Amino acid sequence: MRFVVTKPSAGAGAAGKARLGALYLGGGGAAPPIETPALVVPTRRGLPSFISRDLLDRLPYPDSLLLHLSPIHFIECPSTRTIKNIGGVHEMVGLQDHFFIASPGDSVESLPEHGGTNKIGAAFETPSGRRLINPKDYMDIISSTRPNLWASIADEVPAWVTEKRNRLSIDRTLKWLDDCLSLDQEKGASTLGAVVGGPNIEHRKKMCN
Amino acid sequence: MALQFEVVGRFNRARASKLTLPHYVVQTPMFMPVGTQGTIKGLTNRQLEDIGCQIILGNTYHLALRPGAELIDELGGLHKFMNWKRGLLTDSGGFQMVSLLHLADITEEGVTFQSPVDGKPMLLTPEESIQIQNKIGADIIMALDDVVRTTITGPRIEEAMYRTLRWMDRCIAAHKRPDAQNLFGIVQGGLDPVLRDICVRGLVERNLPGYAIGGLAGGEDKDSFWRVVAQCTAALPEDKPRYVMGVGYPLDIVVCSALGADMYDCVYPTRTARFGTALVPEGVLKLKHNAMASDERPIDSTCSCMVCKNYTRAYIHSLVTRDAMGSQLLSYHNLSYMMRLSKDLHMSIVEGRFPEYVRGFLRTQFPKGDVPQWVCNAMEVAGIDISSCCAPVPV
Repeated sequence: MRFVVTKPSAGAGAAGKARLGALYLGGGGAAPPIETPALVVPTRRGLPSFISRDLLDRLPYPDSLLLHLSPIHFIECPSTRTIKNIGGVHEMVGLQDHFFIASPGDSVESLPEHGGTNKIGAAFETPSGRRLINPKDYMDIISSTRPNLWASIADEVPAWVTEKRNRLSIDRTLKWLDDCLSLDQEKGASTLGAVVGGPNIEHRKKMCN
Repeated sequence: MALQFEVVGRFNRARASKLTLPHYVVQTPMFMPVGTQGTIKGLTNRQLEDIGCQIILGNTYHLALRPGAELIDELGGLHKFMNWKRGLLTDSGGFQMVSLLHLADITEEGVTFQSPVDGKPMLLTPEESIQIQNKIGADIIMALDDVVRTTITGPRIEEAMYRTLRWMDRCIAAHKRPDAQNLFGIVQGGLDPVLRDICVRGLVERNLPGYAIGGLAGGEDKDSFWRVVAQCTAALPEDKPRYVMGVGYPLDIVVCSALGADMYDCVYPTRTARFGTALVPEGVLKLKHNAMASDERPIDSTCSCMVCKNYTRAYIHSLVTRDAMGSQLLSYHNLSYMMRLSKDLHMSIVEGRFPEYVRGFLRTQFPKGDVPQWVCNAMEVAGIDISSCCAPVPV
């Protein structure tokens, strides 16, 4: 996978402003690059809602190749062993040419719940109740599903929490990133670090560094 | 008459045909999935075409309620409304009213019921049913019949049969598009062979484009079921299509085809899919079972549908009861299975290997040789030797 900025923002003070880019998916596929900004299509258990693989072909190409994957959807089943035996998420859902970007939360079935998060792991509200996910459990699912890119788990907190809680979320997120990387067989080659810090711009900048 | 029916293969009573309709040329034996509200739940038209669906059945009752026959007519008919280019069949609405509406009252005039929308009394007459179906514009439309469940006994069955014939005449008189739509009559009469015979004769006298065998698949014992089908198919014209209504179990379709029926419809394949059950050559596969959670095989290793080529039982198991996609994928597979069954029946008759096909089907479904007795009885009448499929009777 390779990302190239094709048109940076112009003018003085342009850093951090809008830009155009191209995402080359790689992997030997012949897909043209995906222009960014781009929408990542949400999925439930690897498939977009109500859109089976034969219908996915009708969506705009190559943009529809980008799919979001929430590893939390696989907490219950199939087991990580079964997913691994099948060959990962691409084989499991029959979308071998698609590009899966994994991050824990989504807006429907896997909602971050900061009230339940603790030092052990991050909490998510799911259809089967609140789930606490630690880095090991998370990386077990990542290693079995084998998405193209994956974000580490983060202690996501709303903007109105106290400064103390905000700092704690940063510390935990960094620790969990290290834990995830230590468990990653690819040593972070496909990892997206999660930036937290609430509304505090300085915290966010430090975390980026 | 707006159809042509050409028999292209036979084995005893079984026949394969080419049925030319205004919108499509179909091959029979043929299964028609039910698209209640102008759509098969969870499947697009393209997917239905991909799996070989030839005719879809629409429910007049549901369509008349929503979106309404007038609107469908204004928008060019149901074909255009749902963008389906192949065949369509609409039923009369009678069955839904009797089965869905507990306060329905049947009189000579028609079926009086309470509207589910506002509770007001409504009356569906034969004339109105045909009028609605004319507006919907399907290739095949059904007469309004007086449907009685076969589990009911007594004079009600005779009353319903004669009324069905009287309503048939009213349907014929009301039908304004005989050059574009084929009005099928429906044989009633319960399980009484005398009544069934009277009804068949009465309908045949009216020289209709096709005939349906109604009032079955409602709880009667299987032995009675096949005997009624056998009697009707023997008496109905050879050169007209024969449609057994409400039949969807694969075994029933094979038996009825052997007895000379051509067309079938049922909600079973799609409804059972929504409950997590897949149709397979061995019978059914319940994807909800815990054993499926780690089963890496496809639903059916002999099936080449999109679902079986791409998904494992384990993955489908993770979807069923949790995600609508599970129902969608299973519906796709189950209808693919039914289309393949239809195609196999047609080709086996055309290619002169129908008995071998039937035997293979039964051996797969009943590997221990425990073929139900009613199937054995039916196949004897159909002239197909299935003794090799049945376990020897213990002495």
